[in-house]
Amino acid sequence: MIVTMIRLGWTTLKRDRVALFLTFLMPVIFFSIFAAIFGNLGGGGGEGTELKPLVVIAADEDGTEVSTNLIQAIAAQEALEVSVEKPGEEGAPSPGPWTRDEAYAEVRRGRATAAVVVPAGFAEQYGNFAQGGATVEVIYDASNPMARFTVSGLLQAAAFQAAPSVLMEKGFDALDDFGGGGLTPEQSEAITSFKSMIDLEQSQGTGTGGGGGAGAGIGLVTVQETAAHDDSEDGEGGFSMVAYYAAGIGVMFLLFSMTGAAGTLLDDQESGTLERLLSSNLTMTQLLGSRWLFFSLVGVTQVVVMFVWGALVFGLDLFTAKRLAGFGVMALATGFAAAAFGILLATLCQSRAQLSGLSTIVILIMSALGGSMVPRFVMPAFMDTFAKFTFNGWALDGFLKVFWYDDPEATLVEALVDLAPQAGFLALCCVVFLWVSRRLARRWERA
Amino acid sequence: MTDTPALRVEGAEKQFGETHALAGASLSLGRREWLALLGPNGAGKTTLVRSVADRVRLDAGRLELFGQALDGSEAADEARNRLGVIPQEIALYPTLTAAENLRLWGELSGAERDELGRRIEWALEWTGLEDRRRDRVETFSGGMKRRLNIACGVMNEPEVILLDEPTVGVDPQSRERIWEMLGELRSQGAALLLTTHQLDEAQQVADRIVIIDHGRDIANGTFPELVQQTIGAGRRVRLEMQAPVAPPAGFDLKGSVLEGSIDDVADELPTLLQRISLSGGRILDVEIEAPSLQAVFLHLTGRELRE
Repeated sequence: MIVTMIRLGWTTLKRDRVALFLTFLMPVIFFSIFAAIFGNLGGGGGEGTELKPLVVIAADEDGTEVSTNLIQAIAAQEALEVSVEKPGEEGAPSPGPWTRDEAYAEVRRGRATAAVVVPAGFAEQYGNFAQGGATVEVIYDASNPMARFTVSGLLQAAAFQAAPSVLMEKGFDALDDFGGGGLTPEQSEAITSFKSMIDLEQSQGTGTGGGGGAGAGIGLVTVQETAAHDDSEDGEGGFSMVAYYAAGIGVMFLLFSMTGAAGTLLDDQESGTLERLLSSNLTMTQLLGSRWLFFSLVGVTQVVVMFVWGALVFGLDLFTAKRLAGFGVMALATGFAAAAFGILLATLCQSRAQLSGLSTIVILIMSALGGSMVPRFVMPAFMDTFAKFTFNGWALDGFLKVFWYDDPEATLVEALVDLAPQAGFLALCCVVFLWVSRRLARRWERA
Repeated sequence: MTDTPALRVEGAEKQFGETHALAGASLSLGRREWLALLGPNGAGKTTLVRSVADRVRLDAGRLELFGQALDGSEAADEARNRLGVIPQEIALYPTLTAAENLRLWGELSGAERDELGRRIEWALEWTGLEDRRRDRVETFSGGMKRRLNIACGVMNEPEVILLDEPTVGVDPQSRERIWEMLGELRSQGAALLLTTHQLDEAQQVADRIVIIDHGRDIANGTFPELVQQTIGAGRRVRLEMQAPVAPPAGFDLKGSVLEGSIDDVADELPTLLQRISLSGGRILDVEIEAPSLQAVFLHLTGRELRE
């Protein structure tokens, strides 16, 4: 009896391809995705699995040899992709180095993850421990908490490499000033000789000072950290992730609810109401169109509820004209496209059970790759590329533009135009999904 | 003009892959007529009905509704507003109430908006569901759902109704109620094309019967006409004997049972019984069977209806 029942279970399972996929392949796929995302954080991973370099803007307002050396040392860090000068128009020379305000704006708009600003007078204060040392400002994008600490840490390392001879000279000057009897002529001569060696090594690029392990705690320079978004009340980016997760979780559940709703097409087919609907004056185009419109309205409402809740409970800054307008555009684009996506999956499937299986697989994979589950900045570069092929990736980018990377100086129209790539892509998805759905739905039309 | 049939199907052909679902089927449904369409499973009944309901596009042949060709034209769409389709499945939305379902299907079938309220009231009364109008359909019994299902198909007051298996899975009491309801439609002048597996019902309610097999109509007429055309009007007589006897002319002996056919029971049966008795045979039992649609069907198709 037991063997018979086991045989029944196995036969049933092996004939259900979706169940087989969910049972054996889906866990492996998910494991692989998350292993690819997080595997490199522990130092593992092979070729191409390294984190993408952080884009950092360097604004040198000091313009001295020491500040130039510091920026060069920062640029030499493999984990950073440093921009020192503004990019020129196509083929034209650069209009010049970045200013502090320009660097701030670039981080604010999400074009750079952080900016390092070396203020005027930096060289004078560099190594002057008696007066507290030099200060460097790091402007960071708080939506990427890794960036802040990575840049600050690497900055300290670079500070050691910037001008070790200056450091030593100022150190011994301090010793001379506060040490009581000062240095003997022989000691001063030895120091001068050693300093020449260090200068020579540095000019030949063979310096050994500093290292990747030097952290901000050593405090060779004082790092003044500035969040590029003033809506982070606690200054720690505490609210920054609310927008991210409202969008990430919101889009993922929107896709689930839309495919669930679109399953009513299959319910209609299975119950015979579809046959009856199509025997009436209703055409297939009208049927799909009306369903899509209704699902879209539900989807947009779902997104609105999510963000209004985020605003009321978690302090998400929604209620400004520009943000409301941008949010409106993204909510409509996402809702329309998600509804079309649901209808596409429903028309692809033969039954409600098949739709449940397929939608679970597709949505979870898209959500993992697109950043709904794990922020994309922790992903390796190649994984980030995959996100460009997911619905979630584009929707998230759009919502983050509204809530995070918006330009405070931009007009309402400019802010909306800035959303054109994301909203446009989602609108295109919507059209393509509906067109394919209509073709697939021919099987339900007249035989 | 009044001679124009309500529905005419001529030489309908439809092929699905290698299967010829329809291979030249024809039928005609007169105004106010009730026509039963019978055939074994796979004979082409459903395809024929679906083609009239615009759910199957014929490869060849012609469909007409009140003389208007159902050819996909605007006039054909207009003509289809005179058609009501009642599917075999309970094609209702279970989470809607009875009144909501009636309104939905009424609007979709082109019922006049001004008339819709009145029509809903009529339908609720017609189905006996007035007191359940605000209840969700999912709470209804099978018979109630079946009645509502029929009502939703006639919300546009159709002159021709396509009715597929109206009493399948229904208890005898509900079945009777359904035929009463349909009888009211008949009195209002609706023509009805009925497909059913209930031969006794078809025999009782249909004015005319069309039998279809292998995609073509193989018999068409009233029940007496079909009987006459096939098995003859004679009664089947079965005599159980105490012991085998020599069979009279026209009768066969199977064991101790004599079987045969007589045309006139009043004249021929007494003579037959007397002849057997005189020859020394002792009759234990007599069975007389009138010709049935089932026998006609079996004769024509060589199959039981449900095969």
